[in-house]
Amino acid sequence: MTSSPVTFPRVLASEADKITSVRTPWWTVLGCVAVAAGTAFGLGLFARPGGGATGASLVVAGYVLAQLGFLVLGVTVGSEEFRTELADVTFVAVPRRLPVLAAQAVVTTVSALATAALALVASIAATAAQRDALGLPLSLADAETVRMLVGFVLYQTAIALVGLGLGALLRRPAGALVTAVTGVVVLDQFLAMNPGRFTDTVRAFLPGTGTRLLTGDDRLAALDAASSGPHPGSWAAGLLVSGWATILLVAAAARLRRGDFA
Amino acid sequence: MIQVQLLTKRYGPHTAVDGLTFTAPPGAVTGFLGPNGAGKSTTMRMIVGLERPTSGTATVNGVRYADLSAPLRSVGTMLDARSVHPGRTAFRHLMAMARTHGIPRSRVEEVVGLTGLESVAGRRAGTFSLGMGQRLGIAGALLGDPGTLILDEPVNGLDPDGVLWVRHLVKGLAAEGRTVLLSSHLVHELALCADRVVVIGRGRLLAEAALGDPALGAGSLEDAYLRLTAGSVEYRAGAVDGGTR
Repeated sequence: MTSSPVTFPRVLASEADKITSVRTPWWTVLGCVAVAAGTAFGLGLFARPGGGATGASLVVAGYVLAQLGFLVLGVTVGSEEFRTELADVTFVAVPRRLPVLAAQAVVTTVSALATAALALVASIAATAAQRDALGLPLSLADAETVRMLVGFVLYQTAIALVGLGLGALLRRPAGALVTAVTGVVVLDQFLAMNPGRFTDTVRAFLPGTGTRLLTGDDRLAALDAASSGPHPGSWAAGLLVSGWATILLVAAAARLRRGDFA
Repeated sequence: MIQVQLLTKRYGPHTAVDGLTFTAPPGAVTGFLGPNGAGKSTTMRMIVGLERPTSGTATVNGVRYADLSAPLRSVGTMLDARSVHPGRTAFRHLMAMARTHGIPRSRVEEVVGLTGLESVAGRRAGTFSLGMGQRLGIAGALLGDPGTLILDEPVNGLDPDGVLWVRHLVKGLAAEGRTVLLSSHLVHELALCADRVVVIGRGRLLAEAALGDPALGAGSLEDAYLRLTAGSVEYRAGAVDGGTR
């Protein structure tokens, strides 16, 4: 047989094959889209004229619940290998190990981007009648609108990568998911109950700050007025959640490189 | 050829493998024997780079496993029949493995045929019996048509037909000049298919000899095994008190 070394494109093809050949990721994608559109529609029912909503804010409102789906997507890709002991087979085939994690990051990014784009389209469709009724147009000529719609897709993708990092680092789906939900959602809500300089500062550095990417200008101004912590700009907040994903992936890579699979 | 030199693995205060040195030469089936907890699986996992040795080296044809550019082409490994995603079909499992090395679909179909899995290749691996899982693991080991095979308990869970098949398979692979390292608790089975044995206990080498070598003493391989490991069995069952009634 001819010599055929392990290359990154081959590892990537293998990881892409893995995610498409089991059912869980497909259900997760479907769940993300349905939850994003369903939540946006449900919250849209409560929107009133003059209530501060914009066309874009109605569309992206489903992020609150949908982000849990994106966390699940990342955690599943990162930890499934270890849960099923498939890791033995995977890392015997790719003993340099790190290309596997890099390929998983690419696969997660691509699937999360596609899923978030689908969720966005579904949410635009689900809220169309409500936006018409309220007279709230969705204009792509408006910079704020574009920032919020693009922000929705980028934030969910970054959150999926946070899930991947935690899944690959902790290697247990349940533990990684609980940690992810705590870090992204629960901790922020908990600290919000005790506003103050310290808690507001901590909150500003949690991954959930990335939601500023998809929050309207008026709402951001209101949030900043109520917070005594730092007020990162929308794109800086996006970089912050990307930073969390990077740190977690680097930590997972360090564990992968040095450790045993016992 | 597999060469293990002064290989040691410690987990905190516990030493699982202790200065182990042995060779598995090409053209022979090397049986790897030892009581439960002797360090056989840990040694095999260190050879293929899944666990990092505390000290010592393990090489395949003189190269550290992690330095092989196409590991599946050099070494076929079957460590645990449960190393599959239960929701993925056997065929897709093998395809995902094959893609890492650019191994063509035709070779995947070939190993499916070789291991007798044709009728179940489209079934999810979670529905497999232990024996079918073993066949799938062996199919994965054969995928790259490797010159060296490392098989941990390959006959575990196989029916008599499957045991016979593995026996012929490994003897045939060795006859083609390949290196086969095969662990088993079934001493009788190893006596039938191995050319030589490496016996370890508590992580240390107890014997390395060809079958029939006087070093193993007179009598069967089982006699030799029991004599060699007498001092290193970690989990010994209590005697059945049946004769005093």
